[in-house]
Amino acid sequence: MTCTRLTISRASWAVLALVAGCANPERSRDVANPAVSGAVLAQQVCSMCHGLGGTAVSPNFPNLAAQTDVYLVSQLKNFRARQRRDPAGFEYMWGLSHALTDAQIDGLAAYFSRSTPQRQRVEGKAERIAAGQHIFEQGLPAKSIPACAGCHGDKGQGNGMFPRLAGQHGDYLVKQLTVFQRTDERSDAQTIPTGAVMKTVAHQLGREDIANVAAYAQAMPNR
Amino acid sequence: MDHPTELTDIPGGRRRMIRPRGAWIMALTLALLALAAGPARAVPLFNRQTGQNCVACHAGGQFPELTPYGRLFKLTGYTLGQRTAVPLSAMAVVSAATVANTSKSLSPGSDFQKDRDLILATASLFVGGKITDNVGAFVQITYDPYAVSNADGSFSGHTNADNMDIRWADRFISGERDLIVGLSLNNNPSVSDPWNTAPAWMQYVPVPSPTSYQFIDGTTPYPGYASGGNIAGLTAYGFLNRTWYGEVGAYGTARGPLSFVTRGVAPRTTLRGLNPYWRLAWNHEWGAHSLMLGTGGMLARIYQDPGDPTTIDRYRDWNLDAQYQYLLDPHALTAQLVYAGRRHSYPAAQSGQPVGFVDPAGNALANTNAADSTRLLRAKLSYVYQARYGGSFSLFSLTGTTNTANQSSGFDPATLTITATDPNATQLSLPVNGNLSGNPGTRGWTLEAFWMPVQYIRIGAQYTGYSRYNGAASNYDGFGRNAKDNNSLFLYMWVAY
Repeated sequence: MTCTRLTISRASWAVLALVAGCANPERSRDVANPAVSGAVLAQQVCSMCHGLGGTAVSPNFPNLAAQTDVYLVSQLKNFRARQRRDPAGFEYMWGLSHALTDAQIDGLAAYFSRSTPQRQRVEGKAERIAAGQHIFEQGLPAKSIPACAGCHGDKGQGNGMFPRLAGQHGDYLVKQLTVFQRTDERSDAQTIPTGAVMKTVAHQLGREDIANVAAYAQAMPNR
Repeated sequence: MDHPTELTDIPGGRRRMIRPRGAWIMALTLALLALAAGPARAVPLFNRQTGQNCVACHAGGQFPELTPYGRLFKLTGYTLGQRTAVPLSAMAVVSAATVANTSKSLSPGSDFQKDRDLILATASLFVGGKITDNVGAFVQITYDPYAVSNADGSFSGHTNADNMDIRWADRFISGERDLIVGLSLNNNPSVSDPWNTAPAWMQYVPVPSPTSYQFIDGTTPYPGYASGGNIAGLTAYGFLNRTWYGEVGAYGTARGPLSFVTRGVAPRTTLRGLNPYWRLAWNHEWGAHSLMLGTGGMLARIYQDPGDPTTIDRYRDWNLDAQYQYLLDPHALTAQLVYAGRRHSYPAAQSGQPVGFVDPAGNALANTNAADSTRLLRAKLSYVYQARYGGSFSLFSLTGTTNTANQSSGFDPATLTITATDPNATQLSLPVNGNLSGNPGTRGWTLEAFWMPVQYIRIGAQYTGYSRYNGAASNYDGFGRNAKDNNSLFLYMWVAY
């Protein structure tokens, strides 16, 4: 029995000592070490919520695959500077982004913007999607709401500072449109770029309009 | 970690009594301090490390129940984030409890200590978090102001090691393959587990020691490993593609360099040799849903008397568990189900032995069993709205073999009565806690509501109802106490900083 005691004690300490190491930048989850590349952070940290290839299983978290790199960089810098203040931002992203370097942000944006989006299961009903398509392509002239396609692309693919919407989780889109409509958490003068345009666009959208257009964007082909 | 109602005799403990008025002042002060601290600064250790809100890792902010992300944070060894300068957190529970019937007792003062009093129930210090890129720790040290109940009615406090989980972990990603592997040095079987149906985690509201808390939900039958939590073990685990989880390990007595994991615990549990532990789980996440189906178990050989190898109890614990979560802001719904079995084989010298009690006619009772079996079903459904308002409903049902050795009440052979005081009796019975049937059967439910005004304070009320206790619905102790007399209300404020 004494032998067993010694064995378990020594083995435990020896194993821990052997494998402890200090820094492991190739597979690190340290968000404050500039030596860890953006790609490593994308895989070791971001993937926990946003998926390995930028396709998030949970609608709590946006899909990032094929998102425009300009938009990704701007949002990460907004989080880092605590200028994007919606709950999803400060609850999850402020802490993780606060020490990122510009180079890491560029690396993260490159990783996800080059990821191939996976085809999504269509979440909304056909009638809702059809109504959303009308708003997306034509806007709602009676409410002075322009077509989403004008900035976000006819396939919702995004364009520079205008984010990709195609295949995005419907719930996430609904919540973000609501943030734009009802708060300044993404649209005050400090945000890069200011979300004031989206605040104006979303201002007149009704709850049904928001649900419809989100359903259409979610259902859009990803390729 | 240990069964909180089992008061241990700890020499030299510091005497401390919290009077109701003092406790109210303390509760108010804690609340004001916490509220005044501000959300960006006043967050516990892991929050400071990741900079994230509690809801990132805890379902609906309902600590310690983990989200899918929280499970990955744990399995990657608490290494995500940034090492903090002061790796400390503190937790305290202020509570009050009352038992439905305190009159059916020969000694209400000792059977229901602190009934309806507000007390500082327990306080913990946490140390750990990220240490290196691959090593992290979760170390809890707990102070129990009511650890020892003194003869004069006062209490003495005591501090000891609580849950400890020191990990090494690595995560290998290649294409679509995602493999997390790790080692855990810990002091409590399944404390390393990331799901909250694991025995070490399913019951998690700290249970205060005074006897008015002896029937609250935390003391009802929960899945658990017979070895309890003051031992030392090393486990190895792997989580493949967020789907398959496996863990194997072995536990032994915490001695030598590992004795720190049971620091302050007396007496330490003494195990014979290495005792195997295993865990296998299938996990699936889709949309806002996640589902785990798993099984786990442990074989344990525990000395009653560490100096006598003929006094070993042998346990075979196994369980089947399932957990479903739906997490989509502002909703957090969790359903948990555990079915657990235990086989307990007694030392040969305690098997087939006559017992002191007799039947009402004075005839001898059956000899003690060589082994007992129990089955436990535990189910819980909880919901939290906006990470602020929550509630839960749970059911428990423990069944098992009848064994005269379990009887702590019965007919005394000299007087043919059930007595706790008769000086002519040779076999005294135990009111309130007594077991007249020799059967462990206990069944009931718990309803809970809680409010989290800020993310690190939880104020809750639990009501636990019993339809069966110690094998009977009525007169389970032989002194007329019924199961429903033990129904208990438990109010708590839980603060983590």
